[in-house]
Amino acid sequence: MPRANGVERGGEVEVGRSLRPTSAPRPRGRRFDALPYVLIAPVSIFIIGLALVPAAFTIIESFFTVDELNPPVRFNGLGNFVALLRNEAVVSSAGNTALYVLIGVGLSTVLGMAIAVALQHPFRGRGLIIAVLILPWALPGVVEGILWSGIFEPNAGLINNLIATLHLGAGNGVLLGQDRLLTVALIELVQVWQMTPLTTLLIFAALQLIPGELYEAAQIDGASRWRSFLSITLPMARPGIAVAMVQALIATLNIFDQPYVLNGAASTGASVTMQTYFISFQNLNFGEGYALSLVIALVTVALSLLVVRFVYRKVEL
Amino acid sequence: MTTRQSNRTRRAAATVAALAAVTLLAAGCSSGGAPAEQSSSGGGTQDVTITVALPTDPPPQAALDAFKQETGITVTWATSDWDSLQTKISAAAAANTYFADATNVDWSRVGQLGTLGWFLPLEDYLDVESLKAEMPQVASFAAGGHQVGLPYDASFMVTTVNTDLFEKAGITTIPTTIDDYTAALRTIKEKGVVEFPLNIPFAAAEGLSTYWYETTGAFGGTILDGAGKPQFAEPDSPGYKAAEWMIGALQDGLVPAGNINVNDSQGEQTLMAQGLAASTFSDYSGLVGSLYDVEGSSTVTGKIRYVPTPGVDGPASNLSNPDGIGIPKQAKNPEAAAKFIEWFTSEQTQADFAGLNGPDKVWGSSFVPSRLSVVQKLAQAGSLADGEHLAELLKNAKPVFPDGAPVWYPEFSNAVYTNLHAAAAGDKSAADAVKAIADEANRLASGS
Repeated sequence: MPRANGVERGGEVEVGRSLRPTSAPRPRGRRFDALPYVLIAPVSIFIIGLALVPAAFTIIESFFTVDELNPPVRFNGLGNFVALLRNEAVVSSAGNTALYVLIGVGLSTVLGMAIAVALQHPFRGRGLIIAVLILPWALPGVVEGILWSGIFEPNAGLINNLIATLHLGAGNGVLLGQDRLLTVALIELVQVWQMTPLTTLLIFAALQLIPGELYEAAQIDGASRWRSFLSITLPMARPGIAVAMVQALIATLNIFDQPYVLNGAASTGASVTMQTYFISFQNLNFGEGYALSLVIALVTVALSLLVVRFVYRKVEL
Repeated sequence: MTTRQSNRTRRAAATVAALAAVTLLAAGCSSGGAPAEQSSSGGGTQDVTITVALPTDPPPQAALDAFKQETGITVTWATSDWDSLQTKISAAAAANTYFADATNVDWSRVGQLGTLGWFLPLEDYLDVESLKAEMPQVASFAAGGHQVGLPYDASFMVTTVNTDLFEKAGITTIPTTIDDYTAALRTIKEKGVVEFPLNIPFAAAEGLSTYWYETTGAFGGTILDGAGKPQFAEPDSPGYKAAEWMIGALQDGLVPAGNINVNDSQGEQTLMAQGLAASTFSDYSGLVGSLYDVEGSSTVTGKIRYVPTPGVDGPASNLSNPDGIGIPKQAKNPEAAAKFIEWFTSEQTQADFAGLNGPDKVWGSSFVPSRLSVVQKLAQAGSLADGEHLAELLKNAKPVFPDGAPVWYPEFSNAVYTNLHAAAAGDKSAADAVKAIADEANRLASGS
């Protein structure tokens, strides 16, 4: 069947060649058309220059000693990776980051799903709510950190002031920096506040593709709303959930601004990307920094593949 | 659309795309700016534009205009936060890329920057020797026999007290020894004047390290020797005692427990400026004028003053942490940058910035000139908040590291503030924290 702006020929469709008759035989020695390549050249150069080349450098130099204070650059095999494993701060930060990922991906997905379901069916003011919802997502992490530091601040922060005002305690409780789990959970709460809007929008977009007839049929069959959610909404939203979980995974694995602003360099909240910064730009040991970046990238890819493998399902309507 | 129109559209799209591709390639292949030795300016400074990147707001436009009129040099000011600027300096130097003609030289990075040769030696451009008598902190910016930068302000650590709270506790004479000072703080707490009389910022950040250095100095010691060996490992050493004193103050309730997550500026704003703390042992010079005496930001205007830092047997010297400026090696116009630095640190400009010559060129409210003569003039004119005390204290200010900060200072400082913070948070004892810091210093000094 011919498509708009396209002509089917021998099972293939050529876009933008609608003037050629469908029955025309494939011309021999057809002239090479450079246009598609020219058109994708800018973005290709952009991606190659800003993503692939630096990535290649990172991979290569992670096997070299690249230390500004200890020149020259020299091959170091797996030395940088071994040094990272022996670095207590890195190991401790890896534990914190695992907690950030668990809390962040889990909480943002559950919250995003809940909000998306609440917004699934049109109602008055839905557009406004969606517009307001994305505001935290638009704020830079550093700004959020500063904003929330006024909430968590132990001596004059909002939470402690509220506790004191309501006579629920002395109002000088230590929220961040003492208990590791509490510190990580509170910092991650700030990031969840930031990334849940995007999670919501991704799942919301997937929910908009579910035909209303399915819910009507389920209702006729006597399915409860919970049953409809489990049997229709959840399976049909899986592509959106998978994408949302992957973006949350990437964000939480790379968390930097929030712990750095809210908790400084303290081991109770430091993340692996903070260690990358310290190693590279504070200690000027770029080789180890590259190695840690590579490890973070590989872990991100591996976990993303797992999410896609277990969460993503192709939905055909 | 006809075939001709279609072809025209295709050609136009191809041309735009090709141009974009060529532009991107050109941008990607360019060096990002020629370093000093490749400059086409040939050392001339007339009609030159330089970029000055500092972690502070620009001076008043009137001052920069006057500089342009005097030299023909236009200044583009790039303000950046301190952390980002240090990252830019490192990234630009490592990549051999231009980003500014003059930029921040932090006292703590002088050793590192000097060793790496990332900044041009200022003695090649300016008569540094003649400045030494006038700028007591010039030595803090020399490393490896070269002047990496020049101080443009005279920031140093001082002890501040809320005289009102001290008087309410019946303390009319400000203590001059640490023992008397600690006893006074206990009295203030016991009499219920304030619950937590002392402010120590225990957040894991640079402010905690500098607090410990100042306290160590007050206990009569130094942090590292000339070879970078730790001088604080033994229990009877000043650095060890200083750490114990700080952690003990927290454990004894002289410092709010929540301060383990309070950095220096938070402590100044939420405790000292609100009258919730009676003293900060290691505070920053200039804060009386820029914060404590500012209506709206402070509830204790006129009540906080600088005092000689209490020491073991009497007042101790203060440690300097001035802000400096230097010329990165990749500067496009080092001659013009040098002229700017000369003007920026001149007596006339410093007096302008400090407000001695009228309000047009006053720069901020916490500016303490790096030139002693200007500080003295300010104090005499009564233009510097608590200037009389400040000028006196500045005379005794000395570098944190008399032999220059070691090249590995940033890594060392990280060990200092993370370990002292951990001790404050109860994760380890003060003794274990000091041992961990000493071990790290030994490791770094040995080059392993």
